Amino acid sequence: MIQITSRRAPVLRRAAAVVAAGALVPGLAACSDSPTNAGGATASVKAGTDGTDDGSRITLWTRAPLEKQAKLLVSAYNASHENQVALTVVPNDDYVAKVGAAAGSNSLPDLFAADIVYVPNFVKQGLFQDISANIDALSYKDEINKGHLTAGTADGKEHVLPFVLDLSVMMWNKDLFKEAGLDPDKAPTTLAEFASDAKKVQGLNKSGTYGTATGLNCGGCEVFTWFPSVWADGESVMNEAGTEANFTSDSAKAVFSTWRDLWKSGAVLPSSKNEAGPTWTAGFTDGKVGIMPYPATLLSSTTGFDVGVAGIPGSKGGESTFVGGDGIGVSKDSKKAAQAWNFLSWLMSEKAQVGVLAKDNDVVSRGDLANNEYSQKDDRLVKINEVAAKGQTPVSLNFQQAYNAPGSPWLSLTRDQVIGSAGDLSKQNAAITAILGQ
Amino acid sequence: MTTSTVPQAVRPMMRRRRRQKAAVGWLYAAPMTLIVVGLFVLPLLLVLQMSASNWPLFGGNQGVNFPQNFVRAVSSPRFVPAIVFTVQYTVIATVLLLLLGLGLALLVQESSRWKGFLRTAILVPSALGLASASLLFYVLYSPLVGPFAGLTNSLGIDLLGTPVSALWSTVFLIVWRFSGFYMLLMLVGLQGVPEELYEAARTDGATSWQIFRGVTLPLLRPTLALTSVLAITGSLLAFDQFYILTKGGPDNSTLTVVQLIYNSAFQGQNDLGVAGALSVIVLIALVIINAIQLKAFRAPDEE
Amino acid sequence: MTAIASRAPREVSLARARHLKRLPYYVATAAIAVVFLYPMVWTLISSFSPQPGTNQTAGWGIGNYLTLQRYQDGIVQYFLNSLLETGICVVLTLVVSLFGGYAFARFSFPGKRILFGATLAILMVPYASLLIPLYVLLNRVSLGNSLIGVALVLTMLQLPFSIFMMRNAFESIPPELDEAAEIDGCNSFTLLFRVLLPAVKPGMITVGLFAFLAAWNDFLAPLILLNDSTKATLPLAVANLRGQVQGVVDYGATEAGVVVLALPCVALFLILQRHYVRGFLSGAFKG
Repeated sequence: MIQITSRRAPVLRRAAAVVAAGALVPGLAACSDSPTNAGGATASVKAGTDGTDDGSRITLWTRAPLEKQAKLLVSAYNASHENQVALTVVPNDDYVAKVGAAAGSNSLPDLFAADIVYVPNFVKQGLFQDISANIDALSYKDEINKGHLTAGTADGKEHVLPFVLDLSVMMWNKDLFKEAGLDPDKAPTTLAEFASDAKKVQGLNKSGTYGTATGLNCGGCEVFTWFPSVWADGESVMNEAGTEANFTSDSAKAVFSTWRDLWKSGAVLPSSKNEAGPTWTAGFTDGKVGIMPYPATLLSSTTGFDVGVAGIPGSKGGESTFVGGDGIGVSKDSKKAAQAWNFLSWLMSEKAQVGVLAKDNDVVSRGDLANNEYSQKDDRLVKINEVAAKGQTPVSLNFQQAYNAPGSPWLSLTRDQVIGSAGDLSKQNAAITAILGQ
Repeated sequence: MTTSTVPQAVRPMMRRRRRQKAAVGWLYAAPMTLIVVGLFVLPLLLVLQMSASNWPLFGGNQGVNFPQNFVRAVSSPRFVPAIVFTVQYTVIATVLLLLLGLGLALLVQESSRWKGFLRTAILVPSALGLASASLLFYVLYSPLVGPFAGLTNSLGIDLLGTPVSALWSTVFLIVWRFSGFYMLLMLVGLQGVPEELYEAARTDGATSWQIFRGVTLPLLRPTLALTSVLAITGSLLAFDQFYILTKGGPDNSTLTVVQLIYNSAFQGQNDLGVAGALSVIVLIALVIINAIQLKAFRAPDEE
Repeated sequence: MTAIASRAPREVSLARARHLKRLPYYVATAAIAVVFLYPMVWTLISSFSPQPGTNQTAGWGIGNYLTLQRYQDGIVQYFLNSLLETGICVVLTLVVSLFGGYAFARFSFPGKRILFGATLAILMVPYASLLIPLYVLLNRVSLGNSLIGVALVLTMLQLPFSIFMMRNAFESIPPELDEAAEIDGCNSFTLLFRVLLPAVKPGMITVGLFAFLAAWNDFLAPLILLNDSTKATLPLAVANLRGQVQGVVDYGATEAGVVVLALPCVALFLILQRHYVRGFLSGAFKG
């Protein structure tokens, strides 16, 4: 008895809600048991340019690493709007599991952010609603970060806007540079200069201080910090469609051999060898590492010493960056798309970009706002914004499995090339292609 | 058999009573049945269905594809290494836990104040959740802030860095966390050995080793059966400790079967079908292993 | 003290010699105690100690605990959530296993063996693979995103241990007791509550304590099954806190989190230790 009534009640309630909202859900989604929306067909959102601000409660999920920015944004929005956004933070490593569980039973939140490298797959699986019409109506559409927009575009339809940008930049400890007799204001312009700077700092022979550091057991860290060197040379890491890996180029080889040489010479923090990510930046933050490619969002956490910032150089002198961070979109399960868009359009406005993000020393996602009152105070921020324009965001459906996943073929390749036997690179490259092309 | 001695007229009444009693028994078992069926059997059936279907994490059920998931699960390059590692870990953990459990139990068996303190000290870690304990050791093993950082760094050891050290560091955590529990189970078993038997053996002039082998061990048989079933099942399903400490690294050397299931579902492949197939394989393997074990430990007179 | 003082000098020196002979024993066993206690003591101490990259960079203090308090809805809210979730799980586990153990020990009914087998099989299925189906099912009965739903799942996970335990506890009571009570006019219900319950109390304390420890510390079930961060439990909050920007670990907050997670468990364990051990001893494990 109890079972029957409790089973029926939610269906009725949900059905009532659907009717009340005036939405005609195709196939009566409220009654169907199996999750739908498999083929990438998504409903499109139509709302006024600013969406609806009618005091609705909107749910928003983000992963823990972006909690600080998400909280600032949400509280600023809630303070100035009728709508109220309820934020849920999910541990980084479990975010995909969480989204997957919710997507399978049609209970995604109204809005959710996702690591930009996962976005293409999420879009293809139909987890986001099409918001092309809304984005197209924005007067500053062309100023919005291209990499993020492209990652969220499928079949010419846009689904995602940049939520928080995170760039990889070269950072060095000016104090250690001075001690090592290096010019603290001169950034390395090539990989070779980077390596020699690191070795000079190592040459100080200070106990506990190392030339450089990275996460050699962290696919995501290496993607984030090594891809830019390839781009800086004008090379690519994958084909356009993201189905073929291209790590046999001279530029890619230069990255691997530079790190192999650094590792051999002992200039790399020893724990980097097995660093799976959680502490890969800690050595630099503690002032014990001379120079390393490092996330720009962490600039504010480096206190107690002077830090220099530049783009990540390639082997031939150019510079680039990985435009990472999270994209955000309206989920397929949202019944409040107009309200959710209200948050998104506010997010892209100057109030949010400058008044919240730039004020917090974060990178803005609109090119026209890169020069603002806050960035002008700190030339490092100007530099970061400048580098952002030269950066790229790689797009591939199977990115997670090919690169970020523990034990990915990318990790096998880099570990072998840097600390292993430096075996057959083209074979290892083919192993990545095999996953990308699935 | 007993019914033959009962007068004819009483039989239907007894049958009714028995039926009544069975109904009452069911009534008492109803709450747990509800939970077992609703929260275990039904989900398990869904796992079975997943294992036989094309079921991407984000896409939902796309129809039957049996036995493709099983083929893909078994032919994955990680499958055999994961099984080998899981079995290796299980053997090490089980042997250590049983030996230490029994050894510690013998050590603290009699009651004295010092032994009471020892017992408590050994038992306290079992109050921690496995996840908390893993987090605790994650910090403890850290080459940056751990208390042994200076020592290990100067010796050039990375506690979670090489396949061998990562395995033993994890084993140490498990031994630390579970020894007390196994010690307690062994203590209970030892309590069941009648004192007279020891005395009889002593008067026969047996050495303590002979007593241990001839009296204690045989009578501990049921306890050993239970503890080894628990240790083996628990170790074969090991997840939390590796998930937090090593994530299967370095170089997939500490990838357990359950971590492989988790990775197939949530880290990359995002394929619930393959994850379901792996789960079914694990379930079948465990049922067989446990059946063999219980049979092997059954005393001869119990048949 | 007085006993030693009144002893003859020769006897005292003998006792001292005996102690001295046992010195290696004391050293060895003390070392064992240190091995088991050190990790927890170290964590407790270093959660107050100054460390770079945490909220307690200079001097000793409670900076790391303030990080916990400032996190989203604050640690108090998460503590209360955990308490609620754990409380429901403990009560459910006790009730269900009391009735279930009684049914298994004292009644024969069709399907008994299958039910027992199915219960033990819970131990043999990887927990992680059940979570997605559980998510789907709980949502369908409106228990998704609720602490009650999580508590139900945790109760299910406790069943193999608690049913096994309670069955054996009931079995260790001589059946003559039942017969005598039945003659006194007890039905099965009054028999259970008036006569048998006091006898299985140690077993119930052990079962309850186990349920508490398991529910209090569980991470995966609340992670997958809860959506609102206002409903999050302690282990979830601690895991969230651990990963800062770019997944960098805040060791200080992690240590403080482990301490907050562990304190209630260790305290409860020490309070109930005697009963807990007796629960095991009450003929619980006969294989």
